[in-house]
Amino acid sequence: MLATLVTAVISGLRGELVRVEVDVAPGLPVCHIVGLPDAALSEARERVRGAIRNSGFEYPLSRITVNLAPADQRKRGAAYDLAIAVGILVASGQIRTSGGAWALLGELSLGGAVRPVPGVLPMVATLARAGYGRVVVPAANVAEARLVTGVEAAGVDGLDDAARLVAGPRGRRAAQAERRPDLAVSGAGKTRTAAMNGSDTRAAPSAAASRGLPDLGAASDRVDLSDIRGQAHARWALEVALAGSHNLLLVGPPGAGKTLLARSIPGLLPPLDDEEALEVTVIESVSGRLMRSGLRRDRPFRAPHHTASYAALVGGGPHLSPGEVTQAHRGVLFLDELAEFDRNVLDALRQPLEDGSVELARARGSIRYPARLQLVAAMNPCRCGWHGDLQRACRCGDGEADRYVRRVSGPLMDRLDLRVEMPRVSPSDLVGAVHGESSAVVAKRIAEARARALRRDLHRPNAHLPGAAVVSACRLARSQEGLMRDLASAGGMTARGVHRVLRVARTIADLGEREGVADEDLLAAAGLRDPAALPSLAA
Amino acid sequence: MTMTMTERDAWLALASVSGVGETIFWGLVAAHGGAAEALRAVASGWKPRDDELRIVRQTRVGITEAFRGQGTVARRVESLGLWSVTPLDRGYPQRLRAVDPPPALIFGRGDIDCLTAERTIAVVGTRRPTLIGRQMAARICTRLVEAGAVVVSGLAIGIDGAAHAATVAAGGRTVAVIGGGHAHPGPRAHRALGRSIVDTGGAIISELAPDTLPTRGTFPRRNRIISALGDATIVVEAPVRSGALITARHALEQGRSVLAVPGRPGDPSVAGCLALLRDSPARPLTGLDEMIVDLGYDTLPEGETVSGRLSLAAALGLLGTAERAVAERLVKGPAGADALVSETGLTPPVVSGAITLLMLRGWIAAMGPAYLAAGPLLAADLR
Repeated sequence: MLATLVTAVISGLRGELVRVEVDVAPGLPVCHIVGLPDAALSEARERVRGAIRNSGFEYPLSRITVNLAPADQRKRGAAYDLAIAVGILVASGQIRTSGGAWALLGELSLGGAVRPVPGVLPMVATLARAGYGRVVVPAANVAEARLVTGVEAAGVDGLDDAARLVAGPRGRRAAQAERRPDLAVSGAGKTRTAAMNGSDTRAAPSAAASRGLPDLGAASDRVDLSDIRGQAHARWALEVALAGSHNLLLVGPPGAGKTLLARSIPGLLPPLDDEEALEVTVIESVSGRLMRSGLRRDRPFRAPHHTASYAALVGGGPHLSPGEVTQAHRGVLFLDELAEFDRNVLDALRQPLEDGSVELARARGSIRYPARLQLVAAMNPCRCGWHGDLQRACRCGDGEADRYVRRVSGPLMDRLDLRVEMPRVSPSDLVGAVHGESSAVVAKRIAEARARALRRDLHRPNAHLPGAAVVSACRLARSQEGLMRDLASAGGMTARGVHRVLRVARTIADLGEREGVADEDLLAAAGLRDPAALPSLAA
Repeated sequence: MTMTMTERDAWLALASVSGVGETIFWGLVAAHGGAAEALRAVASGWKPRDDELRIVRQTRVGITEAFRGQGTVARRVESLGLWSVTPLDRGYPQRLRAVDPPPALIFGRGDIDCLTAERTIAVVGTRRPTLIGRQMAARICTRLVEAGAVVVSGLAIGIDGAAHAATVAAGGRTVAVIGGGHAHPGPRAHRALGRSIVDTGGAIISELAPDTLPTRGTFPRRNRIISALGDATIVVEAPVRSGALITARHALEQGRSVLAVPGRPGDPSVAGCLALLRDSPARPLTGLDEMIVDLGYDTLPEGETVSGRLSLAAALGLLGTAERAVAERLVKGPAGADALVSETGLTPPVVSGAITLLMLRGWIAAMGPAYLAAGPLLAADLR
């Protein structure tokens, strides 16, 4: 007997429809899975057999053939388990489908429990578009599945629940099956004590364990701006950078507080709007980091270590998974010790910084991931960290400081709009300095300035304005055009440099709640010097 | 020049000592807060603590002589009819600050203003060009003159000479950066060309003391000045081991754009250009019209002579008090932006604006995270 069910696969950030065809025919008791399965998927037959037997069903002693269509696409992961298992139950006549078709997503344990899988949100969205309005998902994923409007998402804890749902009210035999209680299920944080009753489409997630997992940018990691002593200039530069999404480079000796300042970023970023939140949530879903939460509202803040590989940062690997640049989409990517990163890895940042996306091309095809990120980087001025310090001598040899800085390629440096030199903080400064404003106060100003920028014609942060739009957004008076020309010729600025200063000036004016850009905004923007425009008279 | 003559003379004297390179020069000036003080200290036996500043005996003797005979260099400059400019002076071309560290001293003959012209382009290439290469250099320069640009090159035989000559012929201004002192102005074959460069409003400049002989090392070094003086560098014809490629590399490091004239693959005379196009962000020069577009010379207002000084003065009036507060603080000693904020009580944006204005005037200079007083502020009696 043949059963056909519907499930989905993740390709890039989109889901793609997959049909699971199960044929149970007389013959030697074997199970074949065809349709380009990977290792995890080939092992599905073992999980499925265990799950079926331990849920009170019978594993048919017949020849079972599972076909995953379309056959030419490589399938991976364990999200098909549930569909295969239910398909075997239907094909072997243990349950009858009634009450309309369900699409199924979920990984099975040997005990018959349904485990969460990554990418449920985009997969459910694809199923909905293809006309499958009823989807069975792991209970842990039901919150994200319900972000898709117009879909009836049923969260299940076990294969037996899923079987009941698929069988519908008239699928008598399903009711007889009862899964043996799992004695101890760890990992997924699921402890099941009682049998389910009937076709329950509960949403209630039961486990709390996954909530306790540490997360980057989690509250415990955050620094409030008021905890940072001194560094008024750098704090202001950070405020400007975040308000306009300008890329920022912090340069200073060890202990200047670069990392501390960067850690305060999550508390300063304005929340995501609806559209951005959906994009970020889809990325989180595919990365498997979104479990029980609903829509992600806080901006991503990613801080990969400088040993990060090319694939980790840009994306790739055997499954072309999204990298840090994509996970920082609509948020901030913080690279501490910029010069220590691999040169290749850094140069790969140029495309995302320019286009807001990254294209991963492989022999098998290419995937474009979104990567509209704001780069915040920190580095020492040289290897020993003391180049340019007024008191302490730099221990680096001749030209070594230059070589250190040149590890970061010119074109990447060119894309860092703001550069702030953070001096060493002396102990007396630490004791004497007054506390600055708190994160809450500054975050409010940043959110207002950003909203002001988004209200203008192009509805995007100032850093992403194209050249012509910057000029019109700045509403320069005639006398200011003269000033800008002076700044450009004195600093030896390129056209790109001029636009960069204008973008930053626009943001400074936004922070000051000014409609037009004032002279002092232009001058202040030029002073947040971009490395090419006003180069330093270095020692 | 409001600065005391002695400090400026000392600067000239110290920078002209043979053996005093950038590292030693800037290191001594930073360590002693000025060239006069540095001369005095070294002459009276001061020894640096860190190895980076190690001064060999011969150089020490040279510095001591320079200390005794202060003013000799200035007199020699005058007798040769040259001018000199240092980062302390208001007239120091801002473009040279893209060199790291900037040349401490530039000697020149001719019109200093062409170093600060609104449009400047460096045109460089091989010493042994093909006829096609020469012709190409001439066509490029003629077109640049039409666009109102000053052509910068190195007065060497070959493409450099073709570029200068074509610019002069087209009625344009050109700057030659020579690899020796002014007493040895480039190749003999180009003496007449050098004179006509100066006669037509251009300039010949060098960072080396007037009597320095050109050596194998001085030519590649002056290339960094050529690239810095041009807002973009055009490489006309370059084989694999050409000095023009060094100029192009400097240009890229200085954040300038580079255009290279492509050629046929396999042709050794353009192999360097092709390698540049393949391995660096240099863009191909595919035609003269395209070149004008790529250089951005098709959009900017033509011949606008709105006086920059006026608008700058207006801005200074606006920020007068803040600027003064920052300047007064820096006269007392170097400080970073952060210290300026906390010690003047001004807000970071205001301090940032004041720094910009002071840097534009050349009254302060940035050194790593700190700002130093420069120009007239060194002799200022604000207090």
